Amino acid sequence: MPVPALKVSNLRKVYRRGTVAVDDLSLTIPEGEFFGFLGPNGAGKSTTIHCITGIAEPTEGTIEIFGLDAVKDYREARRLVGLCPQEFNVDPFANPRQIVDWMGGYFGMPARLRKERIDMLMERFDLIAHQKKQFRELSGGLKRRVVLARALVHDPRLIILDEPTAGVDVELRRVLWRYLAEINKDGKTILLTSHYLEEVERLCRQVAIVAKGKIAREGTKDEIAGRPGGLEQAYLVATGAEADHVAGQ
Amino acid sequence: MTIETPMTAEALATAGNGRPLGINWIGLGTMVRREVSRMIRVPIQAFVAPWISALLFIFIFGFVVGSRITQIGGHRYLEFVLPGIIMLNVVNAAFLQSSSAIYFSRFVRFIEEILVAPMSYAEMIAGSLSVVVLRASITGVGILVIGLAFGATHIESWPLFLFWMVSVSGVFGLLGIIVGLWSKSFEQLNMPVVFFLTPLSMVGGVFNTVGMLPPWLRWLAWGNPFFYFINGIRGSMIGFDETPPGLGIGLTLLLLVVLGLTVWRLYAKGYGLRE
Repeated sequence: MPVPALKVSNLRKVYRRGTVAVDDLSLTIPEGEFFGFLGPNGAGKSTTIHCITGIAEPTEGTIEIFGLDAVKDYREARRLVGLCPQEFNVDPFANPRQIVDWMGGYFGMPARLRKERIDMLMERFDLIAHQKKQFRELSGGLKRRVVLARALVHDPRLIILDEPTAGVDVELRRVLWRYLAEINKDGKTILLTSHYLEEVERLCRQVAIVAKGKIAREGTKDEIAGRPGGLEQAYLVATGAEADHVAGQ
Repeated sequence: MTIETPMTAEALATAGNGRPLGINWIGLGTMVRREVSRMIRVPIQAFVAPWISALLFIFIFGFVVGSRITQIGGHRYLEFVLPGIIMLNVVNAAFLQSSSAIYFSRFVRFIEEILVAPMSYAEMIAGSLSVVVLRASITGVGILVIGLAFGATHIESWPLFLFWMVSVSGVFGLLGIIVGLWSKSFEQLNMPVVFFLTPLSMVGGVFNTVGMLPPWLRWLAWGNPFFYFINGIRGSMIGFDETPPGLGIGLTLLLLVVLGLTVWRLYAKGYGLRE
């Protein structure tokens, strides 16, 4: 049986003040999959991603990335992951080229290789004209492109995108969709969270809906979105929003 | 478009066979490059301010106050004071570099860039400390050059002088990391400077010998770690040493080990770093 790209088993994350953000969450993503991770704000999506990538410490459970324990073998596991976070966690005084270059450096990429990758990514995301400007001077869409380029600089096998198209214009969204479809076709595994159901329907083959820290529904896109009302109805039912809506009427 | 690069093959080969990764020298170098670029953005704050302050000290103690004070231990008053001034600025540079770097990266959250990267805790600490030693050394050597140019001091033992510069930078770099991890506001970040570093350094023997203090106040010097740092660098510069040989060096090395282990433990626990 092939090793999955990501295997999360019984993950639980309790914050210091006692908030249970993720509660016994398990999911498996095979290599090469395009996986949609849906849920309302505060459902536990970002916390799960933070536990996978090392930004948060899991309270219980295990996380394996291509068979490597994300806590015990964290250095080896992290080499295989690229994260595009929801928030702009970037030095505001640095320029896009520095930001991407530093990330490549942290991942141990030699200077020549970094230059090649950065040149390619700057061109691909139309950042060449902006690559020497300070990050704080860029528009929201340009900032989003920079953090995407940063996530991809070390050519990771598993790419985690936490609401990558939030606040970007239609043009960039479509450029990004095309790009993600291409790299997925090339074998990259992608975990995508988004509030745009259209985006998930267009790109993902597998979908999981998370609510209150647990997986509420999981399956192929066709299984979940193939019923009357489509993905939106399935999402509302799985997250409990549909029942609340009916009760409120 | 294909984005295949040799990185994937390399990462797979290393990650898949269970061998531990070696030292991430490129990552370590990148941490240094990044912090140096941050330091260069604020040259006045980082270097010019302590150098100007040292120039003023040389003027005041060399020509105004110093001319009215008799020699201490066979040395002019300026010669006696200048090592302490160097040490004060080395301490400040080291502490401010590491505490502000850690706190700012937490505040803006770009510390996450390092947390998601394949960097070991030891590499993260070594990267921070390298820049600390660099900044503190540039600051200290700059003041030394000013002192030498004005004929205000000399060096008796270069190896000891370098030992004190580097080891004390390390001690306060590590302390700065702890404070940077602990602070939850800029107010908290400044508290140790106001309530700890400045008072202890001022009473640590920069301006006077222990013998000049009344007997009941001498415990203040002997119980103050700054006294050993200032006394140590003074010994390396003008040969005036008030402590038993090796005591200050031993204490400093002990502090380095204790603080180093504490910082390593904090990183391993994710204190102030991970959610």
